[in-house]
Amino acid sequence: MSQTRQYELVYIVSPDASEQAVAELHTQIEQIVQRFNGTLDKTENWGRRKLAYEIGHAREGTYVVETISGTGELMKEIDRRLRVIDTVIRHLTVRIDEDLRVADRLHAQRKSTQARRRTARGLPPEPQPSERRGDRDDDDSGDMGLEGAEVQR
Amino acid sequence: MSGERGGGRGRGGKKDDKDKAKGDRPRGGFFRRRRVCKFCAEKIDYINYKDVRLLSPFIPERGKIQPRRISGTCAKHQRSLQVAIARARQLALIPYVTD
Repeated sequence: MSQTRQYELVYIVSPDASEQAVAELHTQIEQIVQRFNGTLDKTENWGRRKLAYEIGHAREGTYVVETISGTGELMKEIDRRLRVIDTVIRHLTVRIDEDLRVADRLHAQRKSTQARRRTARGLPPEPQPSERRGDRDDDDSGDMGLEGAEVQR
Repeated sequence: MSGERGGGRGRGGKKDDKDKAKGDRPRGGFFRRRRVCKFCAEKIDYINYKDVRLLSPFIPERGKIQPRRISGTCAKHQRSLQVAIARARQLALIPYVTD
């Protein structure tokens, strides 16, 4: 009944924890994932980063991002475990499969529209490197001026 | 300030406002605000909450989310931006408040 979905898990490990403890935590999660027949698609360790605000008494933490495919029960279990472990000072699980699907669809849509319009104009469907225009516009300074004006009012 | 367009709420009305403001202002040399949604212009389909560099232009010093009328973000992207900022805040990538 339960479907396989893709999730993204981000957790922040306390700065007091050693690198080994972070690695252990990772294997712990891996084990839970395996136990629930999920797959760990990707792991990203951002290393130590300054926090935007204090959590507990920590001013920095080690960020780890894991992309996991599995069921909701699996994520529930991981969430429960991370709550209990007190070296993890913060964690967040986000379901990403739908967002990625939407993004892919939009991307494909744009691609096909572009190809259609370009063939209608008698051009090759893909834009050539030689016809790239500058992407940036340079009136950012104007933005700043107006922000000030907005405040004054 | 709103002029003959009642309230001056829509895009067009807003533009009129700005033109008038420009008239009021003796200091020269500033451009009319760019009213383009960053995410539409750069074709960003998914606003990634982990990308602080992407989100930071929408968070002024105070730490509040910049309103649409200032940033020019379209309604659709402002909604997803809100969610992304909320997530980033939870992960301490962006402050909730700064004073």
